[in-house]
Amino acid sequence: MPLSGTFLADLERIVGADGLVRSPEGRLVYECDMHTFYKGAPDAVALPTGADEVVAIVNLCRRERVPIVPRGSGTGLIGGAMAPVGGVMIGTNRMDRILEIDLPNRCATVQPGLINLSLTRAVANSGYFFAPDPSSQMVSSIGGNVATNAGGPHCLKYGITTNHVLGLELVTGAGELVRLGGKTAERPGYDLVGVAVGSEGTFGIVTAATVRLLHVAEAVKTILASFTALEDASEAVSAIIAAGIVPAALEMLDELMIRAINEGTGAGYPKDAAAVLLIELDGPAAEVEAQGERAARICWEHGALEVRVAHDDAERALLWKGRKEAAGAVGRLAPTYLLQDAVVPRSKLPAIMRELIAIGARHRVQIANVFHAGDGNLHPLILYDDRVPDELERAKAANEELLLACIAMGGTVTGEHGVGLDKAKNLPFQYADADLNFMYRLRRAFDPGGIMNPGKLLPSHPACGEGFRPARPRVPEGAWI
Amino acid sequence: MPVAARSIGEAFVTIAGRDRVRDDAGARAAAAVDGQLPRWVVRPALIDQLSRIVALAHDDGLVVVPRGGGSALELGRPPARVDVVIDLSGLDQVLEYNPDDLTITVQAGITAGALAALLAPRRQFLALDPPGAATRTLGGMTATNATGPLRVRYGTMRDLLLGVRFVQADGVVTWGGSKVVKSVSGYDVPKLMVGALGTLGVLGELTLRLHPLPDAERSWLVLLASSEAAQAFVERVIASPLQPNRIEFFNDRALRSVLVEGAAAGVAVSIGSVAEAVRTQGEHLGTLATAEGARVVPLSEGFWSRAARASMPEANETVLHVASLAGRLAATERAIGDAVRTASPGAEISMSGCAGLGTFRVLVGHASAAEMAVATAGLRAWLAELKGSVVIARGSAELRKAVDPWGPLEAGPFALMRALKDEFDAKRVLNPGRFVGGL
Repeated sequence: MPLSGTFLADLERIVGADGLVRSPEGRLVYECDMHTFYKGAPDAVALPTGADEVVAIVNLCRRERVPIVPRGSGTGLIGGAMAPVGGVMIGTNRMDRILEIDLPNRCATVQPGLINLSLTRAVANSGYFFAPDPSSQMVSSIGGNVATNAGGPHCLKYGITTNHVLGLELVTGAGELVRLGGKTAERPGYDLVGVAVGSEGTFGIVTAATVRLLHVAEAVKTILASFTALEDASEAVSAIIAAGIVPAALEMLDELMIRAINEGTGAGYPKDAAAVLLIELDGPAAEVEAQGERAARICWEHGALEVRVAHDDAERALLWKGRKEAAGAVGRLAPTYLLQDAVVPRSKLPAIMRELIAIGARHRVQIANVFHAGDGNLHPLILYDDRVPDELERAKAANEELLLACIAMGGTVTGEHGVGLDKAKNLPFQYADADLNFMYRLRRAFDPGGIMNPGKLLPSHPACGEGFRPARPRVPEGAWI
Repeated sequence: MPVAARSIGEAFVTIAGRDRVRDDAGARAAAAVDGQLPRWVVRPALIDQLSRIVALAHDDGLVVVPRGGGSALELGRPPARVDVVIDLSGLDQVLEYNPDDLTITVQAGITAGALAALLAPRRQFLALDPPGAATRTLGGMTATNATGPLRVRYGTMRDLLLGVRFVQADGVVTWGGSKVVKSVSGYDVPKLMVGALGTLGVLGELTLRLHPLPDAERSWLVLLASSEAAQAFVERVIASPLQPNRIEFFNDRALRSVLVEGAAAGVAVSIGSVAEAVRTQGEHLGTLATAEGARVVPLSEGFWSRAARASMPEANETVLHVASLAGRLAATERAIGDAVRTASPGAEISMSGCAGLGTFRVLVGHASAAEMAVATAGLRAWLAELKGSVVIARGSAELRKAVDPWGPLEAGPFALMRALKDEFDAKRVLNPGRFVGGL
């Protein structure tokens, strides 16, 4: 749907010539996020510098019924920040200022385009940090983190983005600038901040966020334990949690992943290991010391091959090195992969790993695993070579079967990446019509015109808006009439 | 088309059984809300019954008021009408406890006390401790967003509620969220149900995140010469590496109610961890207190339940929930005193609350409804600059008619809230009129 000359001129009046990307090659940069499967370039990209410009753009698009796709740094993994039906993309990169740091009240207010790690860097000298730490934190924006309710390795202890957002300034799909929540810990009325976080740009565009800052822990201890069997590692995870220990992070890598990492990064994980556990504890020194010893003992009791403890920051970085470079290292095994983000109850880890191996064998695809074991959030990488006929099809089939297996075990289709275009079709695995219907109507309250990020987060439905109308319960008939 | 009252009662009986539908004077009086007598009190035993009761009420244009333990009925605006009180105490089953996953799914009518008893043998707990929790239902605690001292470490129900099954206004049973500790599949519907006073759906089932009980826990009361000194001490604690699970402020009167005399202000801090870490953090806390010239009193295990009991109001007391900022503790205490005493010179003010977050619970005695209305308005005016709030958590119907118990909301967010209510309860079946802005 090409945009009219008048529309583009109006858009340029709002954001200025340097804030508008119109050329085909310029727009191509914005055709996908990190899930490069899904491509769709916007018809124009607007780069506003303030909330007033965002309001003007949304109202222009609303009037002309042009779809809007918000985008932060484009590091999402779900086909979220791309334009399947064209329209205007609103990039928040030029809104990247820290508006206020309020240490006595342990919060900061930032613009959406601010890079996640920049906030932590700004407050690190005072002993504070911003807790959500997606692997992309060096490049991903806080607006994007809010939109996808991003997680990260350390959310086992600290929670995901939603647990750290106090307030939002949001331009809704109706073109209204609203301030939701704020610095105080609570306020009367519905928790609009709570539902807006993770709404993936379907409610509107965040133009500022007030987020919590946490005090840096006194001590950190990182332990790497390797095992000859995946089951042993999985059981060690359960035993650590059962011992009442809540590590800051509890990550697992499987055999295939260990091999790729060893070959690719030289992280030096034990060669014979079928599983590696990365355990990080933080908190008061005495607690970290005691729980670290207990966690190490649990690993030994579960047949660990080796338990390494980092003694300083350099050693810590080395233990983490392999984990952080895992996705890149997989490139040595196959040209490309499908990345899954499903969750199972953590007690089901041994069962799902067995199932996963069986699924891989059935569909003749290799699956490498690196995941947040502590909260049961899997990240299987289903490897395929798109030059081999039907390998992608087999990978896709394995992917879907795996999702269904996770749901059957009481899990969920996405733990931290979000739904986007990629998993919208999978939501009916997890939700009944009534549940999806509720979500459709929730969306409509924020975006009555249906212009915000269409096609994302909810499965498309012929009767969109009234989609998935559930059956009503039976009420007694006849008995009393 | 609405059917005659007697027939509706029979329909409820058909749904729930005769012993679960009451329309006698005694039952109706016991379930009255601000003097409004319901025509029926229905106590479903199954979610399916709950669903059909709500559907029937919806079709006949009846007003439904969900009720848990009945301890927070004086929260919100007095209702204009009450037709059916749905007593959820019959939905009190544990549906699925997964200790290894630190999750549990329960029906909304179970009490926090019953849940705690079930979890204790596994050394796990639900980290939510509002006053009177033992007899409160989890559904009620969710609908009213009830909190306690533990929130500084563990958050509130919004951080603990993973999944929720609720009945929409038209009776449709709906699920939101998940049963695992981490999920971003679709909108975070559970958040919408927390603190919504049952106005978007009647809560039926809750899936909750649990925490391990710490190996050891100790508490200390730090007695200070003024609320300014208390604020300075709290700032030291927050900026330290200490990891307290409670940092609770007490004004002079609140201290007296826990039998501590002769101090202007106190901050009670508890540390839960492994034994050695509790000991070293306790020492650290002592150092911080000394720097503020304060006296430190070790507390016995029973202190927190005593403090919770003391923060339950007497019959004639009003309870305000004040949301301010941690960095404005002393100013907030002064503002509360000024606002209340200006309106009511003889009033007694007992203030406690989460010093680390700036959320306080204020009990006011010996003040009339008219005086409290003035005091509430005055305090709201002071808090406007901080964008804080004052909610009358408990007060006479007369007071809650004289002044909005929720306080004013900004137009933008309120328009969205009204849009949600219009979308999900257009016929105004669920607790209408009691929530913010008369929703």
